[in-house]
Amino acid sequence: MTEQHILRAFDRDLETIQAQLMKMGGMVETAILEASSALEARDDELAQKVRSADKAIDAMEERINEEAARLIALRAPIATDLRMVLSVMKIAGSLERIGDYAKNMAKRSVLLAQMPTVGSAGGSLRRMSKAVVGMLSDALDAHVSRDADLARDVLNRDREIDQMYNALFREFLTHMMEDPRNITACMHLHFIAKNIERMGDHATTIAEQVIYLVTGVMPEEDRPKADSVTSHGVDGAQS
Amino acid sequence: MNDMRVSESAVGAQDVKISARKVQVFYGENHAIKDVDVEILDRTVTAFIGPSGCGKSTFLRCLNRMNDTIPICRVEGDIMLDGEDIYDRRVDPVQLRAKVGMVFQKPNPFPKSIYDNVAYGPRIHGLTRNKAELDEVVEQSLRRAALWNEVKDRLHAPGTGLSGGQQQRLCIARAVATSPEVLLMDEPCSALDPIATAQVEELIDELRANFSVVIVTHSMQQAARVSQKTAFFHLGNLVEYGETGDIFTRPQDPRTESYISGRIG
Repeated sequence: MTEQHILRAFDRDLETIQAQLMKMGGMVETAILEASSALEARDDELAQKVRSADKAIDAMEERINEEAARLIALRAPIATDLRMVLSVMKIAGSLERIGDYAKNMAKRSVLLAQMPTVGSAGGSLRRMSKAVVGMLSDALDAHVSRDADLARDVLNRDREIDQMYNALFREFLTHMMEDPRNITACMHLHFIAKNIERMGDHATTIAEQVIYLVTGVMPEEDRPKADSVTSHGVDGAQS
Repeated sequence: MNDMRVSESAVGAQDVKISARKVQVFYGENHAIKDVDVEILDRTVTAFIGPSGCGKSTFLRCLNRMNDTIPICRVEGDIMLDGEDIYDRRVDPVQLRAKVGMVFQKPNPFPKSIYDNVAYGPRIHGLTRNKAELDEVVEQSLRRAALWNEVKDRLHAPGTGLSGGQQQRLCIARAVATSPEVLLMDEPCSALDPIATAQVEELIDELRANFSVVIVTHSMQQAARVSQKTAFFHLGNLVEYGETGDIFTRPQDPRTESYISGRIG
């Protein structure tokens, strides 16, 4: 819907919440990238920065929700406008969760910096983070450009994240079995991998919101899953 | 999308009350309604929305032959009420209008007492045999219109002395006094304040238990609040007709979307 409202203030309000959401998206992308760099480089300072930046992300979510509530009260949006406001509120919620995972990653990387390195997981986790940031940024671009095809592409990419997580899961398990002294570090690394995998799920939720915004219908639930860890248990990892 | 208000409505609510097929209306040369097909359900509130001059009031007036009073107006196509053609020559428009009542934009009580306003229809149609029965009908109608408690002590005061909202409810009481099957409302709340509007809307929702209600409204929010079905008219065409919940969350036609969301269409 590219037509403008007769009441132009309505368009300005919608543009405002869209812009705020994109700003929040940028903050969250930065948090993920910096958290993964901090982890790989064992950079405490950068990790601290990610942790304190999360407050700004939380504040941004609150601001977006207030704006959206005000817009609903004053403009009574319907049809696409309503779906737009609803999607912004839900996406802001997902972004806030992703921000929390990034913060948790930074917290764990401060602890990990005091332990001996285990394997080459840092690089894998950074690649996984990058893939998630790619999904997230495409999902947000799809929201701005109302591009359901791009959003569907993001949905399909979650499978790759799941596969990366499965591979890391097996790797950590192997390290822990080789030497119990690795267990503490590997537990932290595993939680980080799981956090990144959850970020991917949230990016997927955002993409679903974009499809709802554009088409008015939520996509079917049965998207491809590649999470063999929960479906096959430890057997797969032991073999 | 599931509209909860539909699912809570009475069983058997999906019977067709009025069925219109290929309806055309001309005012002289002006083709005001073009090929409108619509099925209006029993015990359901149907809202007609659309910009001024789109034909929604014209179409509403076809449903009880109010357009008969306009000499240059010509109606073509079929309008069936319970399967019977209301434009059949054997149909008496006065009898038809007792079955298909109407409430107008501006409250228009007769310059008579509150009692006589409501008693007028039952009297001329000979629906009651004695004063006691008539009293009963008047009280029932005023109760249905949620006006009884406010006027029961002054039934013989002039109807025109009531407030705007009360006058409109008096007109609704007058319309329901003949036990119509369908109630047509042409912007019934446009002259009312928000409180009176809410009272009339509550009343419409209650009337749905017994009648099929068709309401023309310029207020999108009102259509969303009171109706289960919404029809969008534009330039004499029925553009979209569907569940109100669907029309207001995901309209299928871009013209509907533009209109209801306040864009230039």
